[in-house]
Parts: sequence; C-alpha cells; structure tokens
Amino acid sequence: MNTPALSATVKEKSTTRKGLSEKTRRTTAFYLMISPWFIVFLIFGLYPLLYGLYLSFTNFVGFNINNLKIVGFKNYVNVFQDSDAMYSLGRTLYVSIIYVPISTAIGLLLALLLNRKIRGVGIYRTIFYLPSIVPVVSIGLMFRFLYADQDGILNNILKFLHLPTVNWLDYDHATFSLIIMMLWGAGAGILINLAGLKGISKDLYEAASIDGASTFRQFMRITAPLMTPVIFFNVIMGIINALQIYIQPILLTGTKLLDSPIRPNYFYTVHAFQQIFAYQRYAYGMALLWIMFIVILMMTIIVFTTSKYWVYYETDQEG
Amino acid sequence: MVNSASNRISQFLVYALLLVFSAVFIIPLFLTVSNSLSPFFSLPTFFPQGFHIENYKLATTMIDFWKFTQNSIIICVISVTTTTLSSGLVGYAFSRIQAPGKKFLFMIVLSTMMLPGIVTQIPTFILFHKYGLLNTFYPWLIWGIGGSPFFIFLYRQFFSAIPKELEEAARIDGCSIFRTYWNIFLPLSLPVMATVSIMSFQWSWGDFIGPFMFLNEAKYPLATALSTIGYVQPENAAVVIQQLAAAASILFMLPVILLFFIGQRFLIEGVVTSGVKG
Repeated sequence: MNTPALSATVKEKSTTRKGLSEKTRRTTAFYLMISPWFIVFLIFGLYPLLYGLYLSFTNFVGFNINNLKIVGFKNYVNVFQDSDAMYSLGRTLYVSIIYVPISTAIGLLLALLLNRKIRGVGIYRTIFYLPSIVPVVSIGLMFRFLYADQDGILNNILKFLHLPTVNWLDYDHATFSLIIMMLWGAGAGILINLAGLKGISKDLYEAASIDGASTFRQFMRITAPLMTPVIFFNVIMGIINALQIYIQPILLTGTKLLDSPIRPNYFYTVHAFQQIFAYQRYAYGMALLWIMFIVILMMTIIVFTTSKYWVYYETDQEG
Repeated sequence: MVNSASNRISQFLVYALLLVFSAVFIIPLFLTVSNSLSPFFSLPTFFPQGFHIENYKLATTMIDFWKFTQNSIIICVISVTTTTLSSGLVGYAFSRIQAPGKKFLFMIVLSTMMLPGIVTQIPTFILFHKYGLLNTFYPWLIWGIGGSPFFIFLYRQFFSAIPKELEEAARIDGCSIFRTYWNIFLPLSLPVMATVSIMSFQWSWGDFIGPFMFLNEAKYPLATALSTIGYVQPENAAVVIQQLAAAASILFMLPVILLFFIGQRFLIEGVVTSGVKG
C-alpha cells in the first residue's frame, strides 16, 4: 500500500502546496482567526461609531430621530465656544498629567518589591491588588467615610494629633482628594508588571552579578530596558483611562449617577453626560465625545511615535 | 560582611515599604468592614461599634439581592468564556501571522481601545432599541465573541515574547497554523488566560453603566442594583442606611477577592517563560 512511488507523489504534492501557497495560507489563517473580532467590530463597533459621528452633525435632541437635520459643524464650533467644555478639558488634562506618571511609578515600584524573595508574598500581592478589584461604587463609599468633614476618619486622626482639620471635599482640596482615591487603585498595574518582571531571564542577573554589577546598575541596565514594553502599555492605558474619568468624581462629591460634582472635579466626560442626559443635547454631546476621542488618539499617537526611542523589544516585531 | 550588612538594610527597607503600602491599601477596606458591623446611623469610626452581623442578613433580604447576583453570574459566565477564548485567537493572529493589512488592522484594535466607551454606547443604545435587543443578554454574547481590544493587546504582547524557533519547529513537524496555536501557544499562555479571565470577570462583575443603559431593573446585575436601588429607609427614600450599603459592598467584593486570592499564585508564576525555556 505504501509504495515508494505513491509516497513520493504525496510528498511532492504537499511540498508544492506548501511552497506555492504558504503566503495565501497564512493570509487566510490570519483573516479567519481575526474574524470573530473583525465582524463584531464592523457591526457593533464601527457602525455605531459612525452613526454617532453622523448624529454629531445633526440637530438630534433625543426624540426627533426620524426627523433629523444636518447642521454641519455647528456642534463642533459650539464646543470651542463652550467655556464649560474648555474648563473641564483643562481639568481633565491637569489630573491626567499628575495621575498617569505617579500611578505608573507606584505600579512598577510595588511589582519590584513583590518580585523579591519575601515571606508571605501572596498576602502582599492580594493586599496591593485588592483596591483595583474593588468595584468603584464601593470605593466611593469608602472614601467618603475617610474624607468626611465632620467625624471623617482622616479628620479624626488630625484632631487626635492636635492638628487643624481639613475639609477634604471642598473647592481647594477636592481634586487632590480625588487623585489620592484614584491612586489607591494604582496596584492594578502590578499584575502586568510582575508578569513582565518574571519574564526577564534570571541568567542575565547572574551574569551581571558575576561581573560585579551593583543592584542599581542591574536595574538600570537589565530591568528597566526589558520592562519598557510593559511600562509603555501601562502609560497608554493610564492616559486612556485618566482622560475618561467620569464616575469617580461623582461618587466622591455627588450623590446620583447623573449628578454634577464640585467645580474643580467637573471633568470632560461629566460635562458630556450632563449635556446629553440633563439637557437632552444628544448631538452636541456626541460632538463633545468625538473631540475627546480625537484628543486621546493624538496623545496616544505621540506616545507611540516616541516609543521607538525608548521601548526595547527582545524579539524583532516582524510586520 | 559589608555585602551582608547592606543586604540586611535593603531587606529591611523592602519590608518597611511593604508594610506601609499594605496599611495604606487596607485601611479603607477595614473601615468599610467596621462600618458594616456598626449599628444603623452611627458615625463611621475606626473600630466597629458592636458586632451587628445581622446587617449582612438584612443586606441580602432588604433588596432582591440573590436575584441580582444571579443576573451578575449570567453576564459574567457569558462574557468571560467568550472574551477569553476569542481574544486569545485574535491576539495570536496579530502577534504571529504575517498577512497584508495586519498593521492597519492592529491600529484599529488599538484605536478601539482608546475609544471612550460612551462614544459608541449612546448610538448603540439607539440601534439596539431599533432592533429589539434591549433588555436581553445577547449584547454580552456578541461583545464577548468580539473579544476585548485590551485583552487582544495583552495576549499579543505575551505571544510576541515567545521565540520564533518554537513556531518554526512546529512548522517543520507539519503543524498547521491553527494547530500550532491550539497545541503549543495556547497551553503556554495559560497564565495570560488566567489573567484575562480574572480581569474580565472583575470587569463584568463591577460594570454597572452598561447594564444600567441596556437592561431594565429586573435584569440588573448586582453592581447596577447596588448603585441605583441602594439601601434606603422604607419611609424616606432619601435616607441611605450606610451600614447596610457597606455590608452589601463587602458581600459584593467577596467573590472577586476570593477568586484573585486563589488564582494569583498561578497567575503570576507564569508558565510563559518557564514553558519557553524548559
């Protein structure tokens, strides 16, 4: 059955098939494999996105969906003349610039601590990661106990130390308090950071310590460069999340889901929600959100463009 | 001598930092537990005033707690299984297979990650309303199959770190592309899969804005129920019983915390590198 002639033909056939259509085969496999994402993206991502873009050029106010009129760039022009929009955009950028570097650094520092040989590492890991898995609704509640002006825990501590108490949620301190609350969740990055640190080969450190490199030098020459892809990922995610802050200020300084928080914590997404839900300015709200999307996209492109100067990949990124 | 002394100092510093950070991270949680055990309308204090464990029972009976929990579980099971499998497949394709248009498509993945969720949520709501998909769990199935750009990116980063030789060896042995993925890369990515499943569980367990928009109250998961219905006095809906809210939020976070505690060792002591090296 297994004659040499037959097996030779089979072999020949399979090699030609492989040889000729390797590229086609790869392309087909690629498109088959991404198709679940791609199809859902087209129908449930791109279509609503473009539909929203279309709505942002109309006079849509919630109930006139069958009777829309194109108003051109009117909504977009309004955004730049809306002092609340510009104010909230400024506040959002301000908070992001403070929050992103600090949270990235804390995430990395915690991961470095946890990557050492320490007793009870599992408990520390859980403690550090805990805040980032606590649902945001509960976080708001917790920090209200902490920050409360009368009989808040922080103020009770200050009283105990005979120091003047602080109204943590007033105009002057609300943003600071909010950033602290958000930084409480900075442990979110440790999972990815730790995975990255574990991925660095121990041989490199052994070789370095044989060569007499100090711990600091090992960090600068081995850990830091090999961690840049992870840091890059965390920075990008940090920017994207920080610019969309919405629910945290409301939970800390408001009462209801569609409430407006104190002025210094009046961020851009909050403004968009207010316009859409409180004032029924759907079309204008869509324009606001599209401008936010463009801002986020631009900032990310900037980080991406600079990444080739500071992000180090071990394997070459083919394609 | 010098070395061991400096070693001891650095070890001491590590433990000191660990303790300080632990304290900072644990205090707000401890306060919530304290408050959940205190009598109604007492002011929050550091240590519980009394031990009112019955607050927990009340928290589960005053609202339809278990019904909401059931909804949460349905949403989580659908989302976690579909997202984890689908994102892995897509992430593999983006990290390992050459094809025309790949770069462009990957830019789309990244851009959707940067897309503020709400930009599509409002038009999606209008469209779902048109096609009668509101108040069903189908949207979570569809979104799950689509994977999540965040997880696709995560898988891709992990797969990119695996040496080419492994794949070439499989190719020489006659493995098809899909088999290479299924039999070699997927088992290697178990730690990533665990990470992704736990993260997507956390995410779908904690999400309350999505269900708030797309479902009505009977189908609310726990997160949405707790943030919209809440624990108010029967005779005055403006007065929230904070102790019950605290108890409910402790119960609410318990599954996520337990899951992480069980999964974390496996999560981080990744097979990614050991599998590649071994």
